Amino acid sequence: MSKFIAWVDERLPVSNFVKNHLSEYYAPKNFNFFYFFGSLALFVFIMQIITGIFLTINYKPDAASAFASVEYIMRDVEWGWLIRYMHSTGASFFFIIIYLHMLRALMYGSYKKPRELLWLFGMFIFVLLMAEAFMGYLLPWGQMSYWGAQVIISLFGAIPFIGESLALWIRGDYVISDATLNRFFAFHVIALPLLLFAVIYLHIAALHTVGSNNPDGVEIKQNKDKDGKPVDGIPFHPYYTVKDIFGLAVFLTIFMFVVFFLPEFGGFFLEKDNFVPADPLKTPEHIVPVWYFTPFYAILRAIPDKLGGVLAMGLAIFVLFLMPWLDRCKVKSIRYRSLTYKILLTSFVISFIGLGYIGMMAPTPILTILGRLFTLVYFGFFVLLYLTSKNEKTKPVPERVTMYE
Amino acid sequence: MNKKYVFFFILIFSTQLTYAASGGQLKPVQIDLGNKASLQRGAQIFFNNCAGCHTLQYHRYSKFVGDLGISEDMIKSNLILTTSKGEKTKLGSTIVNAINHDSIKEGFGVVPPDLTLTARSRGPEWIYTFLTSFYEDKTRPMGVNNVLYPNVNMPHVLWYKEGLKEMDENNILTVKVQGQLTQKEYEQEITDLVNFLTYVSEPAQLERYSIGLWVMLFLVFFAFITYLLKIEYWRDIK
Repeated sequence: MSKFIAWVDERLPVSNFVKNHLSEYYAPKNFNFFYFFGSLALFVFIMQIITGIFLTINYKPDAASAFASVEYIMRDVEWGWLIRYMHSTGASFFFIIIYLHMLRALMYGSYKKPRELLWLFGMFIFVLLMAEAFMGYLLPWGQMSYWGAQVIISLFGAIPFIGESLALWIRGDYVISDATLNRFFAFHVIALPLLLFAVIYLHIAALHTVGSNNPDGVEIKQNKDKDGKPVDGIPFHPYYTVKDIFGLAVFLTIFMFVVFFLPEFGGFFLEKDNFVPADPLKTPEHIVPVWYFTPFYAILRAIPDKLGGVLAMGLAIFVLFLMPWLDRCKVKSIRYRSLTYKILLTSFVISFIGLGYIGMMAPTPILTILGRLFTLVYFGFFVLLYLTSKNEKTKPVPERVTMYE
Repeated sequence: MNKKYVFFFILIFSTQLTYAASGGQLKPVQIDLGNKASLQRGAQIFFNNCAGCHTLQYHRYSKFVGDLGISEDMIKSNLILTTSKGEKTKLGSTIVNAINHDSIKEGFGVVPPDLTLTARSRGPEWIYTFLTSFYEDKTRPMGVNNVLYPNVNMPHVLWYKEGLKEMDENNILTVKVQGQLTQKEYEQEITDLVNFLTYVSEPAQLERYSIGLWVMLFLVFFAFITYLLKIEYWRDIK
């Protein structure tokens, strides 16, 4: 065996790779609950690819037969219903994981020097993932697929001068049609997954260059023993591989519970109207995007002007890219930051959840006011963070990481 | 155990959004996919009364053999009422009918919708409420109207079973002409029919819950083992 490995190593640096990225890749030993979501996101990505391949085998990207082919998968394909529910539930769980993963970064300042690029790659993944989910949602060709896509793509029409032609270019037709379905299928199953794969690779490469942050925001590389190993670091394998397998097992328990017992999740994961085939002549009473888009959708609706709404929605995502430069505080972790930051982040999280709720509901006067208020809080977070973070009163950061347990 | 889950989850999670969409009061209906007899009776009612106009175009006759325990001969002689290219429709075919879309549109104003997924898109309670909410209305072409779906074009096909209700000034329905069944028997038949349509809307439900239980048991056990593994490895980390 060792001879064989030596033979391979001469030709391909396999052992080196394992050393550099697993057995001698040092990660801080004080990771907490929030540090499960990176590896879980990777797992769900791979699961989506695999279930997606099996779905593609029986799915037909054709406006006349797409809906029926999904029902064919649900009824006539062996275990088709399980694969389909894993894929549809996987989409929602992907966003739950990514939102928690991003919250972790906000809590512990994981976007700060030297991790700015890591954060930027992460944000690109988030944007690509939104596009991937949006295009995937058109494929079942139900009423909500159709009208959701119709509403979102028509938003591009609000852009001055080029808007209408841009929307036309994206759809390939004047309305959502067979042409749109075909191209969205191409994007969903190959173009975007390929891009995602590449950016995820860069995200992990950047991570392994700078090393992980941790709940204390202490750079473990600044405190090494005589062998040059970080004293607060432990090899990723076996310590974090076993820990992440446990995290994965807990995740799968929750995930599979939803897959088997609540795949529609009361209309949040699979909307009721999507069990009606797309009908271009019949607009549903109430068009709502899937839950993971509703915070941004609520921001769109909060602005009375269409173009203004589109810009606000775009800005809501874009401003996140700027986090490494908006937050000017030197201290990373929320543990040692001021009360101001704690209040700001808490109100940001509340406004995000609040917007998500409002985006799901039919607009009422009270919800509109609340939506505007939360939109203000959402953007206020970034403005106030920029203003307060420079001279923030922080607590002393310890030399070494702290362990609880 | 199977029954309990089906009932519980459908009741809790499928109703909320439908309520909002319909605006009217929906009546609860007890769905029990473990009750084969009820599903078979529902199939009988469907094919005797509904199949002439409504299709189940994503579902196949052959599914009834394994799922509902109806024999092939029974299906061929009693459920398959159509022919295809001069021969009796095959067992493996999807459940469609022979209506002419143009003439039925002329007669009823609409093409009767396919019902494969109605229990998922509108919910079982909606179908149940709809079928128990017809009342006499001489101003309508079919002589009946519906509380849940005002001015619906569908005639009250099951009137010979239910009889005919009329609406008083307080919008309360009372039986005016007695049908073959009592109100209670009629409601039971509609429950069976809705039960059947709920099965048709997602046949996987028949196995989903029981398989899910085993998967849960395995995963909880697996999570426990991996937890012990983690503890063992992390013993030396302080």
